[in-house]
Amino acid sequence: MKKLNRRAFLKGGLASGVAVAAVGSAKKANAAGDFGGYPDSMGVLVDMTKCVGCRTCEAACNKEQGLPAPAKPFTDMSVYEEQRHGGLPRRTTEKEYTIVNRYEVEGREQPLFRKFQCNHCQEPGCLTSCFVNAYTKTPEGAVIYDATVCVGCRTCMISCPFYVPTYSYSSPTNPVIKKCIMCYDTRLKFGRPPACVEACPQQVMTFGKRTDLIGLAHKNIQDRPDRYVDHVYGEHEVGGTSWMYLTAVDAPFEKIGFDTHLGKQPIIYYVKEFLAIVPMVLLIWPALFTGFHLLATRKDAQKNEESES
Amino acid sequence: MKTFTAQGFQPVDQLTKPGSRTEWTLKEKLLLGLSPGDYLKQLVRNPLNWVFAIIYAIGLPILVGRFYYGLGWATHSSYDYPWGLFLGWGLFCMVPLSASGFMLGTTVELFGRKDFKPIERLGLLNGLLGYLFAVIFLQVDLGQPWRLIYPMFVSLGPAAVLFLVAWHVATYLTVQVAELVPAASEMMGWQKPKKFVKSIVLGLTVSGIILSTLHQGALGALFTYAPGKVHPLWYNYSFQWFHFFCSSIFAGLSMLIVVSTLSKWFLGWRCDANFLKNLDRITLGLAKGASLALITYFVIKLTAIAHDNEWALLFTGWGQWYIFEICFGVLLPLFLYTSAIRNQSVRVARFAALFAVLGIVLNRLNTALITYNWQLYQEIPHWREIVITITVYATYILVYRACLCRLPILFTWKSDSK
Amino acid sequence: MGMKKRRLLGLTLIAVMVSSWILPGSALAEVFELDSMKNLYEGVSFDHDMHIEVTGDDCAVCHHHTAGTAPAEPLCVTCHANSPEKDDPRCSSCHVKDVFAAENMRKVWDTPRLYHRGKPSLKAAYHQGCLGCHEQNDAPVGCTDCHAMTEAGEKFYHTGTCAPEPKSADQGGGHH
Repeated sequence: MKKLNRRAFLKGGLASGVAVAAVGSAKKANAAGDFGGYPDSMGVLVDMTKCVGCRTCEAACNKEQGLPAPAKPFTDMSVYEEQRHGGLPRRTTEKEYTIVNRYEVEGREQPLFRKFQCNHCQEPGCLTSCFVNAYTKTPEGAVIYDATVCVGCRTCMISCPFYVPTYSYSSPTNPVIKKCIMCYDTRLKFGRPPACVEACPQQVMTFGKRTDLIGLAHKNIQDRPDRYVDHVYGEHEVGGTSWMYLTAVDAPFEKIGFDTHLGKQPIIYYVKEFLAIVPMVLLIWPALFTGFHLLATRKDAQKNEESES
Repeated sequence: MKTFTAQGFQPVDQLTKPGSRTEWTLKEKLLLGLSPGDYLKQLVRNPLNWVFAIIYAIGLPILVGRFYYGLGWATHSSYDYPWGLFLGWGLFCMVPLSASGFMLGTTVELFGRKDFKPIERLGLLNGLLGYLFAVIFLQVDLGQPWRLIYPMFVSLGPAAVLFLVAWHVATYLTVQVAELVPAASEMMGWQKPKKFVKSIVLGLTVSGIILSTLHQGALGALFTYAPGKVHPLWYNYSFQWFHFFCSSIFAGLSMLIVVSTLSKWFLGWRCDANFLKNLDRITLGLAKGASLALITYFVIKLTAIAHDNEWALLFTGWGQWYIFEICFGVLLPLFLYTSAIRNQSVRVARFAALFAVLGIVLNRLNTALITYNWQLYQEIPHWREIVITITVYATYILVYRACLCRLPILFTWKSDSK
Repeated sequence: MGMKKRRLLGLTLIAVMVSSWILPGSALAEVFELDSMKNLYEGVSFDHDMHIEVTGDDCAVCHHHTAGTAPAEPLCVTCHANSPEKDDPRCSSCHVKDVFAAENMRKVWDTPRLYHRGKPSLKAAYHQGCLGCHEQNDAPVGCTDCHAMTEAGEKFYHTGTCAPEPKSADQGGGHH
């Protein structure tokens, strides 16, 4: 499978040395804003109005990814009452790459269930912040991770706007990032949908080309304006994500744990201003400060000349 | 030590023993010219060493435990809070406080201000050790520290800000080691290395400025990856790098004032007349530089708020905290510095420096830990995390003291009277 | 249950085949065994007769426009007001099992102007079709209310005989 990305392309052209590397990074940053994703990448459209909270997707993920046995059976619905530190609902962990949360929204009779996993950004924050290039956005749409080069700085966890990457802190010898990889190795690579998508009894999730799914999402909204909020979460958020969401009119995104203030720019956008000054400093500073030096010490230099002549 | 110097003891400050032509052996130099017995005696007599002993007795086993049981055992690092005290303090506070190296290098070598020469080496050493221990703190925090060189040679991610930090800190450490080669050469009686470094000192200094500008800024830029996670008052994607860079200037200078004051108080026996005589004048000079950086910093902090039109946020709880940080960590030292300069009061300048250092620590901890995830919940570091941080910092102080006692930093090495 | 089910299945198969040819349009008084996908759960014994009663003879409630009656959903009526009865009104005649198989995806997305692109799989058609009504009419909604979990299911869900030992969950790091 061809996985040439811009980083690999850049890397090939990189000579060693700080200066060149730093200039290269700034170039990459400028190109990044216009990337917009692979044209034929796959995605998943999640219709949260259909989810009944049966947690079959969690079980499917556990099985597919060979994750350790859960603390409670996947048929145990008491997990929806669980709270983590800070009174927050449960989240993905190093042992659970996807979880479903239940939201009781005021003015809505039924609870709304929200499935959570890596959203597989078009321009992932984790990828752009990784200094060992451990992340790859595959042309199929998955954001995958190479544990063999990870140093464990955890900047990807800082830069993920969705708080997705988790870390196996408990391992002293081989702690690594753990997150949903859209079943890349076992399924997506072969054109098959992720395990959670296939397992879902309600087909809450539709697998398809991302561009097709955007069309389908808007068609669904148009057909049923009484049912859906007129917004496809993930179409534009942080540069667009491979996983996108539709929610019910009476359970708007901000009330079911979605961050609606992320903006449309990918995370790299916020870092570009700094990256742009890097080549500037590298090129201008030496001449500027050598000039300052000559100016500051001109009297000494004059004295030297006079004493010599 | 004071007991010995009171008895007329003179610590090693030249290659040959006083009144004879025999050279000090390396062992004798390391023992400062004391007999092993006497050296041990002064170690035991110093109460600070007892404090260190207690810190190590508790801290070392826990530090070992961190590597044996993993980060989960030692820290409160979590999925929501990947970074804790090791980076919050060890990287984000120690690096700006070590900016003195490039500041003093620039002042003396580049701008030709030879009047700051007596404190240049202290500035360089403060820089070198600060960076070295920032890297050590990083090593304690990294999940797989043995892969530290991966971003250099194994798998490159050149577009990442941390990639710049890694490369720049690594090269800058090399630069700083080179800049301190003369001091080590004098002590060891080498000639060639010192001459060589002297010939490239301008190049070293200029690369020091470049690397410092970029990595001090890059530490700020690291947080631009987290819009929404860092509170908007501490976040600005246009100015973040400049806030960090500009504040590192007064942080480094103020730290140098603090360290030189401590040296004068506690290592007075090691300072020579030249250092002691010039220190007050130099302190006020540093104060001038620091106050200029402070006022610039204050203005760009306000500019950032105006830029994002965040005035309304100042009236929230976080806004009060922000105002406290600015008043305590920027305006108070600025006021003290200016009054110190006007009244030629070194004492006030030293107080100002202390507040500036604390202010910078507050700012960095605010950005990295306190306001981070302000919309989630407040994380409090694990007690083991605090103990390890104290232990590593104690080692920093120990190494610092050991260098000051031996290398010609606070005193001038007497060249051989032929 | 097993024996009865198997007998019913045989009957159902014959009934479906025979009825679709011989008795077009007439209500079926049978119990179906929906078990073509049984894996984690056993098949479902579906009392078709009872459901006809519940829906008041309105086939369109479940069969959309394929049973010769006009669908209730206004959106559907725009096209299907007069749609004829289908030869094979079973769910599986329209809803495929593996909806995301490459072949089916190609068929869906490469057909220009195809309207029903989000058509659910057979499994989803059953669940979506049943659960909505069951919730509204206080009919059973629990997974095992309709189909018993198999051994494979207990393994998959880590439940029943495969339930984890109750222990304190180690989440690794941080406050919890």
